[in-house]
Amino acid sequence: MDCSLNEVDLIAKRATRGAGYAWGMAEEAAKAARWLCSRDIDGSNELARLLQKGFSSNPTEHVPPDIDGDWKGTEILCPLMAGALLSDCAVRLKRKPVIMGRVALPTILIPFGANAARMLECNISIECEGKLAITDGIELSAPDAFPAETDGVAVKIGGVLGSLRSHCTRAHPDLAGWKILESLADKIYAPATEQSRLLGAGAGVSDND
Amino acid sequence: MNTAVRIERRQPSEVMQLKRLGCLHQCRLSFMRILTRRMAREHWRFTRHLFDINEEGVGRAVYVAHTPSRPYSLIAFAHDLPNEMRSDRVIAQAWDATFALFDGIPTPSDIHRLEQNVPFQEAGRLFESELSLSRANRSVRLWNHVVDALAQGGQPDAEHIDEVGYLMRTTAVYGSGKFGTADFETIAERNEMHAPFQAEMLSIYLTRSFVRDLVERVASNRGGANATRLDPVLARRLGIGNSTGLGMAPFLVHHPILFNNWIMVREEAIARVRALESASSEACDMFCDLIERSALSVEQWRSDHPVQIEKLTELRGDICRIKKFTSRESLRQDYPWNRLMTWAAGTLAGEGQEWLASLMLEPYGELVDGLASCMSDISRDASVINGAMSIKTARKLIEGSFGWAFDIDWEAKENCARAWYVSEEKLEPRLGERFEEDIFTNGSTNFEQPLAPARDAVAAYKTLEQWDGERTVAEFLLRYPEHRHSLRRAQISARAPYGEIHDNTISATLLPIDMLRAKLSFFGATHFDPRSDRWVRIRMYAGAPYPDELTAQNADFWVYPEAAA
Repeated sequence: MDCSLNEVDLIAKRATRGAGYAWGMAEEAAKAARWLCSRDIDGSNELARLLQKGFSSNPTEHVPPDIDGDWKGTEILCPLMAGALLSDCAVRLKRKPVIMGRVALPTILIPFGANAARMLECNISIECEGKLAITDGIELSAPDAFPAETDGVAVKIGGVLGSLRSHCTRAHPDLAGWKILESLADKIYAPATEQSRLLGAGAGVSDND
Repeated sequence: MNTAVRIERRQPSEVMQLKRLGCLHQCRLSFMRILTRRMAREHWRFTRHLFDINEEGVGRAVYVAHTPSRPYSLIAFAHDLPNEMRSDRVIAQAWDATFALFDGIPTPSDIHRLEQNVPFQEAGRLFESELSLSRANRSVRLWNHVVDALAQGGQPDAEHIDEVGYLMRTTAVYGSGKFGTADFETIAERNEMHAPFQAEMLSIYLTRSFVRDLVERVASNRGGANATRLDPVLARRLGIGNSTGLGMAPFLVHHPILFNNWIMVREEAIARVRALESASSEACDMFCDLIERSALSVEQWRSDHPVQIEKLTELRGDICRIKKFTSRESLRQDYPWNRLMTWAAGTLAGEGQEWLASLMLEPYGELVDGLASCMSDISRDASVINGAMSIKTARKLIEGSFGWAFDIDWEAKENCARAWYVSEEKLEPRLGERFEEDIFTNGSTNFEQPLAPARDAVAAYKTLEQWDGERTVAEFLLRYPEHRHSLRRAQISARAPYGEIHDNTISATLLPIDMLRAKLSFFGATHFDPRSDRWVRIRMYAGAPYPDELTAQNADFWVYPEAAA
C-alpha cells in the first residue's frame, strides 16, 4: 500500500481517538506514526498493535505516577502516554536518564525521543533489550523495530549516529494494520442520516443551476 | 517613502472575531494573485499537450505550464453527466469534469492510470506524482446559453455572463496528501510552490482554459460551419466558480499557525502602508482608480442570502462614503492611509473597513508583496509541547487568547448548541444540533470533533487555576491528558497571536459562512454568495488574462473590472 504521510497522520489521529484516547494524545499519535513512516518504519502498524491493547480504558495504570524516579506503571507502560511525557520533560534528561520499566510497543517512543533531541539540540539514545535507536531529532539510526514488548527502556543524552535510516516522502503501511486503524477511526464517524444530510451540511437549496 | 512612525498591527481581539473574518476581501497577497504575478514575471509558457474530446464533449485533455524549473500539467477528463446526477454536494458520485494536477508531463500510461482513478475522485487513488485532485460541474444557467449562442454563430449575452460569472464551478479541490496526492512538504521548497495553495490555484487557472476550449468544442460540434468562438473579451469576464461547504471551516481551527500567518501578513501589510508619511500622486491615482473599478465589481455582486444582502447594502453605502471622504486632496495630508483607516474604523461597517484595507495595499507592491513568502507554515516543532513551561505562564497564554471567553456560560444551551462531527458519508465535516439530533442526544460524545477551542481552553484554565503556578505543564498533563490539545494551542498562541478565532464556534448563532469567507478571501475569491449559513459560492479568476494573454501589465489588477468604454 502506498499513501501520503498526511494520510498516515489523519488515520492515526482518528483511530487513536476512536480507541478512547484524549484528542491531544491522538495528535501525538498522529505525529509519531508519521515520523516513523518518514524514517521507513511502519509507524501505522505499530500504532495499530498498540491501540488493540485497550490501554485507554484505564490510562492511569499505564503511566508512571510521577515524573521523578524510574517510570513504572501499575500495569505495562503505554508508549504513547509515556512518550508524550518523555517529550514533555525532555529537560529532565539533562539531569539523568529516564529509566522505564515494562513498555508495550517501545518503537513508538522513538519519535518522542526525537522531539527531545531537537529541543535539547543533542543526540538521544533509546536502548531496549540491547537494541539501540539514536537520533538527533532529524536523523535516525535504529533497527526496523524494537520488540513488541520489553521489560525495560533507557533513554539518555548521547550516542553516535550509525547507519542512517532513509527519509521517505511516502508510507507503505501493512494493510492489516491499516484496516485496524480504519475500523477504530470508524467509531468517531457519525452515521449517515437524512437529518444529518440536510441539517448538518446545510443543504436543501438546489445546487444544480 | 518615509516610514518615520511605527503603526502597530491591529490587535487579534479586533481582527479575529468571526463577524470581522466574515468581511474579509481579496488583496494583493491573495494566493491567485501571487501566482499570476509569478507566472508573468517568470515568463511561464503554456501549451495544450492533448485535446481528445469527442462530439459529445467527452474525452480528455492535458494543459502544461512550463515554469523556469519544471513543468506541471492539468489532466482533464470531460464526462457526459445526466442532468439529474449533477450536484455540488460532497456526497455526489459523478461530475461533468474531473481533474488532476500532475507533477511534470504525463506519459500515455500516466494518463491511462489517472483515467482509471480521477473520474471517481474520493473513490480513486492517486500517487506522489499528483499534486491536486478536483472536479467541476457545468452551470446549467450559463452553459447551454453559451453553447447555443456560439453554435448559432452569435455571442452570449454579456449581462447573463456577468450575472453567473462562470461556465463551470469546482466543488472540491483536494491536495496536500489527500487521496494519495503528494504532501505539501514534498513541494514546499520549490519557489513556485512555496506560497500556500499554489498547486491548487494553478490547477484552477488551467481548468479555466480547458472550460473555454470545451464550450467552444461542444458549440462547434453542434453548430458546424455556423459556429463561432467565444469573444475573448467575454471569455475574460468568466471565472471558475466554486461551491464550498463546511469542509473548509474546520481547516482554520486545525491549522492555527497557517491561519495566523495569513492574517498576520495582511495585518503587517496594512500597518506598513498606514505608517507611510505621504502618498505619491501615482499612488493616489492608482488608489482612486481602483476604488472605481472595485466598486463596479461590488455592483455586480449578487446574493439571495439575507445576511449577505444586508452586508452588500452596507458596503455599497460605505463605498459612497469612502468616495466622498477620499479625494486626491485629502490624500495629500500627512499619514493619509492612517487617517483613512482611523476614519473608517469609526464610520464604516466591517465590510467597508476591510474592503478599504485591502484596496489601500494596491499601490504598494514593493512594500508588501515580499510578505507572501511568510504565509506558509513550515514550522517543524511548533506543535511540540514545552512541558517545562510553568503553569503560571500557561495560564497567561490562555488569558491572552481566550480571556474573552471566560465569562461565557458554557453550560447554557445556546452557548454549546452546536457540535462539529465527521459523517461516515465520504468523511464529510458537518455541524450538528447537540440537543436535537439523534446522534448526540443518545448521550454519546464520541462524534464531537475538537473544534471548540474556546470552550476547551476555558475548561483547561479552570483546572490550571487549582494548581500551583510554579509547577510544570508536564506534571499537569500527566494528570490531565484531556487538556493536552488546549495546552498545545495555548503554547502555539505565543508565536501565533492571530491563530485563534475570538468567537464561540459552537454557539447557536454561529455562521460558518464567516469561516469559509475568511479562508476563501485569502485564495482571492470574489462575489461571495452564501446559499445557506454553511455553504457559499464564489468566483475565482474572473477577469484574469488567459495563459496566452498573460503579461506583466495585466498579471496583477485583473481582479478589478475595467469600466465599460
